[in-house]
Amino acid sequence: MNTQTLPAAPRAPSGTGLKQWVWRVVFVAALFYLPVVLTERAIFGIHLSNVQLLNLGLTQINLMLIAMLGALSLNYLTGCAGLISIGHAALYAMGAMTSAAAGTLWGWPFPLVLVAAGITGALTGLLAGLPSLRVRGLYFVLSTMALHYIVIFAFLQFQFKLFDFAGIPYKAAMLGSFELNTPIRWYFFLLPVVALVYWGLRNTLNTREGRLLMAMRDHELAATAVGADVRILRLKAFMLSSAIASMAGALYAYYLTNVTSEAFGISFAIQFIAMIIIGGMGSLWGSLVGAALWLLLPSIINGFASQAGETTGLVHLILVEDKAQLVQLIFGGLVILLLIFAPGGIAGMGKQWRDRIASKRGQ
Amino acid sequence: MANMLEIKDLSVGYARKGLALENVSLSVPQGSIVALLGANGAGKTTLIRSVTALLDLHHGHVTGGSVSFAGESILGQPAHRLVRKGMGQVPEGRLVFKQLTVEDNLLVGAAILPRAKVREGLDSVYALFPRLLERRQSSAGWLSGGEQQMLALGRALIGRPKLLLVDELSLGLAPLIVKDIYKQLRVVGETLGTAMLVVEQNARLALEFAATAYILNGGRVVLSGPAAEVAANDAMKESYLGTTKPATAGAKEAV
Repeated sequence: MNTQTLPAAPRAPSGTGLKQWVWRVVFVAALFYLPVVLTERAIFGIHLSNVQLLNLGLTQINLMLIAMLGALSLNYLTGCAGLISIGHAALYAMGAMTSAAAGTLWGWPFPLVLVAAGITGALTGLLAGLPSLRVRGLYFVLSTMALHYIVIFAFLQFQFKLFDFAGIPYKAAMLGSFELNTPIRWYFFLLPVVALVYWGLRNTLNTREGRLLMAMRDHELAATAVGADVRILRLKAFMLSSAIASMAGALYAYYLTNVTSEAFGISFAIQFIAMIIIGGMGSLWGSLVGAALWLLLPSIINGFASQAGETTGLVHLILVEDKAQLVQLIFGGLVILLLIFAPGGIAGMGKQWRDRIASKRGQ
Repeated sequence: MANMLEIKDLSVGYARKGLALENVSLSVPQGSIVALLGANGAGKTTLIRSVTALLDLHHGHVTGGSVSFAGESILGQPAHRLVRKGMGQVPEGRLVFKQLTVEDNLLVGAAILPRAKVREGLDSVYALFPRLLERRQSSAGWLSGGEQQMLALGRALIGRPKLLLVDELSLGLAPLIVKDIYKQLRVVGETLGTAMLVVEQNARLALEFAATAYILNGGRVVLSGPAAEVAANDAMKESYLGTTKPATAGAKEAV
């Protein structure tokens, strides 16, 4: 092969123009202003009604941020490494259990508890990932389901032996002497955590190993043929994903201040799969969007349903009597529509849109 | 000339299916293209799998013989390690990573290179297949069959292999494109000394570009030698090149 030097190859516009920067600044500013709006129920001094605020409160936003961690870590595992897992509730439970032991029983400081949760999560991920060395596809999914029931059983024993049926209480989350005791404080703690995890995972995907991971997802045999040790790659991906999920579980427990084993049912695990399907498999920002829709949409629909319920007779009856079911119905319908019209999730839709614009420009 | 790959009396069986290869011996010298020809089910892919250690995945096992690569016995070594030792592979059906871009596909192949050599590797692949440079930002899934084959070759060649194994190079491709690819492979062999073992269906093309050829039939080597001699063999002509009436038993008589 003769190695001639090539002219600087045309790069795709990387989007660091002025306009892009302005949008970024606006976005970050909005993120900072959002909790103020939701706490004071007013924007720039103008009072807003509940409906105008889409019936949202900061607590929902905080729970959404925690769910984003779960969705990000699952998308890394499922969307990028190609391993489908319904063990994410178990990993959350693992984090909650670790923080109960380290935080509530032994009195470790909150940041240390988070680290401990990450470590137990990674170890659980290592054990749970071992079947991936032998089994694939649906069989692997079943093995993660087994993980779920084993961990939940352990959680129950743990809860009843050391605490009681009312659940496990958690101490106040202290960062040094600063207590995370209001939603707004939590928000400003969780936001950088999510940003950090997002940024970290994105950079991981841009390394050699990240590319090998995606290559393995696309075709395992071909990945082996370019020198990837797929077994090690799988285990590492599972450990990283599990560590993040377990930390998210610890945050979740601290945020709720009290959890029982019922919080981590199998549907809790499946909701993360729903989030990444809606958001877009293999797309990290898609997981953020998916988590946001999954957590916020029901309460938004709920808000509008209440508003409509105040007006008419028969509609009022349906809306008030069966509101819970109706909200579920609308939510389910929206999800189905989304899957039909955007099978690649929101991220896939975004990509299609960008491609269409690019092809119109004749690129 | 040193032999990069040396197979001696190799026998391979699949679970409950009897022997797929019987006492096959074959060698691939440095810098030359060796063609492996034969009808469907003759054992060509099995032979490639035994060399690349992917036999286990398909429930096959070596029952006898030896395989050595660059002078080292390699039976029993894991597949990914062989790649790192310089055994480039292009699997059957090409298997490019369809969701990744062309350049990312190449970078995946370059993961075995030291970081400082990656840029140089990319440039050399683009110089070899300029089509890939034009399409470097497209998803590999959007490429034509020929471009995908170039990409699969580039992905294997970017790691500077000592030996390149190509399974079904011309599968589903227009003869003109295959010819182009062979010409480039010949350049690779001449400049880098890469040894190449190419499994082919298109016997005529393979014999034009290969230095040596082996014909497999029923798991045995029924004919081997310099490509020109093999091409001139009457039985070969009958059964693979179709110059006279096709006769499936012809090749066996040539032993």
